[in-house]
Amino acid sequence: MFSYSKGIFVKLKHLAPSAAILAAGALTLSACGGTSATGEEVGEGSNSDLQGTLTGIGASSQKAAMDAWTADFASENSGVTVNYSPDGSGAGREQFLAGNAQFAGSDAHLDDDEVEASKEVCGPEGAFEYPVYISPIAVAFNVEGVDELNLSPSTIAKIFKGEISTWNDEAIKADNPDADLPDTKITAVHRADDSGTTENFTEYLKAAAEKDWDAEVSGDFPKDFGGEAAQGTDGVVQTVSDTDGAIGYADASAVGSLSKAKVKVGEEYVELSPEAASKVVDASEQVEGRGEGDLAFDLARDTTESGAYPIVLVSYHLVCSSYKDQETVDMVKAWEKFVVSEEGQKSAAESAGSAPLSDDLRSQIETVIDSIKVEG
Amino acid sequence: MLTTTNNSTSTPRTLTSKQLPKFTPWVVAIGSIIVAIIISFVSFGGFNIPVVAVLAGLINMVAVFALSASYEGRRKATDRVATTIVTSSFVLACVPLISLLWLTVSKGGAAINGDLLSRTMLGMKGVLDQQYVAGEAALAGGFYHAIVGTVLITLAACVISIPIGVLTAIYLVEYAGKNRLGKAITFLVDVMTGIPSIVAGLFAFALFSTIANVIMPEAAGIAKTGFTAAVALSVLMVPIVVRNTEEILRLVPMDLREASYALGVPKWKTIVKIVLPTSVSGILSGITIAIARVIGETAPIMVTAGFAKTLNWNLFSGWMSTLPTYIYDSQLRPVSPGDAALASSERAWAAAFVLVTLVMVLNLLARLIAKVLAPKAGR
Repeated sequence: MFSYSKGIFVKLKHLAPSAAILAAGALTLSACGGTSATGEEVGEGSNSDLQGTLTGIGASSQKAAMDAWTADFASENSGVTVNYSPDGSGAGREQFLAGNAQFAGSDAHLDDDEVEASKEVCGPEGAFEYPVYISPIAVAFNVEGVDELNLSPSTIAKIFKGEISTWNDEAIKADNPDADLPDTKITAVHRADDSGTTENFTEYLKAAAEKDWDAEVSGDFPKDFGGEAAQGTDGVVQTVSDTDGAIGYADASAVGSLSKAKVKVGEEYVELSPEAASKVVDASEQVEGRGEGDLAFDLARDTTESGAYPIVLVSYHLVCSSYKDQETVDMVKAWEKFVVSEEGQKSAAESAGSAPLSDDLRSQIETVIDSIKVEG
Repeated sequence: MLTTTNNSTSTPRTLTSKQLPKFTPWVVAIGSIIVAIIISFVSFGGFNIPVVAVLAGLINMVAVFALSASYEGRRKATDRVATTIVTSSFVLACVPLISLLWLTVSKGGAAINGDLLSRTMLGMKGVLDQQYVAGEAALAGGFYHAIVGTVLITLAACVISIPIGVLTAIYLVEYAGKNRLGKAITFLVDVMTGIPSIVAGLFAFALFSTIANVIMPEAAGIAKTGFTAAVALSVLMVPIVVRNTEEILRLVPMDLREASYALGVPKWKTIVKIVLPTSVSGILSGITIAIARVIGETAPIMVTAGFAKTLNWNLFSGWMSTLPTYIYDSQLRPVSPGDAALASSERAWAAAFVLVTLVMVLNLLARLIAKVLAPKAGR
């Protein structure tokens, strides 16, 4: 027969000590844990009495900058937790408009329908939006013996369309009269996955080289144009690094030691730099017919402004013009002001390789943030 | 191991006279691997693991057949080839498992240290990673908050799903017999087993969003909590617990129940005192396996608990991280893009190492429970 009941409980008693040890161990671990990323106390010198949680959803492009902002913000406001879920721009706008987040990050500004929809969640003035994150996109190349390269928009378009196939092509020579170009075959590397980088890159080509770039602007690179597809930013950088004669586009912060092409703007060739990238936003027009607090820009990709680098990704923050209680208003104001502050922009530039906002734009945005108020 | 001695062969004389020695299959296998490596060097210009593996397998099969056919005869040769195919399949099945374990242990084991286990991502930014990659500072950041989140969420999921699962199984085995409700429940449990985990996550999120909108319409984003994640996980866990427990309860001999009834013991007492103690080892190990199954879920946690960077002990308020979401987030969206993404990757591997260890410990625990608590057949 089976020996049950009593036997079971005796056995359970045998297990009890080890279970107790496990539990004690877990408690000890919990007692010494809970420190910050560096092991130091965060927010020691915090002199703000804000308390609460802010939830943001949106673009994954801002994730690295957001990490830097939340880290620095926490050291000044230890009572506030800022959560950010990088679910994507579309998801961010949708959740924000559904009232599931206090702010959103988005690579694209709101369209007219969304502006209308925002009035239901955010009060009569709708949502405020303004750029917070400007990230230059580099055209990186790897050609043996060539360190500097000038490219005009139409040459870039032809290269990525596959119409130019060798580095000593006439069009490239015209851009670089002094360079010694080899007859290496060109490998144009593009993103295999749907990405904001591709969308901004093709948007630039469409605007600046309309005659040569006849494809629709989209997050997917047009398949008919051939070339080498690589997965993710890292994939593109890796492929370009490994292939002699390769050229690709990727977020400037990720290209590392690869050479970056200078891009023709107006009559000069502009080198990629943070200042040049933020300049293009200053040179852009605001979207018409929007409210006071809506700093949405139609990026001037075809600008002729001297020293502006037009291949950039601009990411916005969306906040409400009014919130229901004073605490939220105070938190949002403190947080957003930190994000656009010189300190916040510098921190993002160091950690995420973005381009800081210009002072003019910052003071404009600060006025907008100041006008956030309690509903009613 | 591979040599089979078949005593029923009609001619015993051939058995004693013509049989390859026991170590033959191993010698042939090693020989074919060497030949495959040589071929790989000659015609593929170097050591190429997939080529060597495929070649070695084919050469081994042909060599075994040829050798055995010429010496032992066709029947024996066919038998040996069958043995070889079965063994090779087993080895093939082990390859992904071993390579996964090896990768996790070598990459994660190298990166792991006490700081990673006891720190969170509070105050983590790209500059710290860039300093680490440049060799100026130690690796910052950690996943203590993710370990706490994993444990809390999984515990809460257990608290919800174990009573429901075990009681459902008891109903199915002890009460339902073959009635309609029992059949309906069995059908629904079958359907639930096939639910993709993301759907479970969306279900829990939608449920709690609706509740949150009714209770506190003005508060934004309060539906994402550890408890919501626990509910999502329990949706996945309940069918596994029901299935395992049901199997085990059906194994309890009918004689035991009948003996108990014959002594005038009521049904509930028979179940509590006879059926459950007899099957407790199986039930517990089934539960442990269910836990090991849901502890590695990523998708439902992302939807329901967000990506927290800080420690949160409260299941009912605020976001939480678990090890799987931490790994996903670190690997896909590094704290610092570019060269310093390596640091995020290292943290992700260390977290993966902890997660794999956790799952393995749970599985071993299930074995141990089954062994220690198993009823002895003391006839």
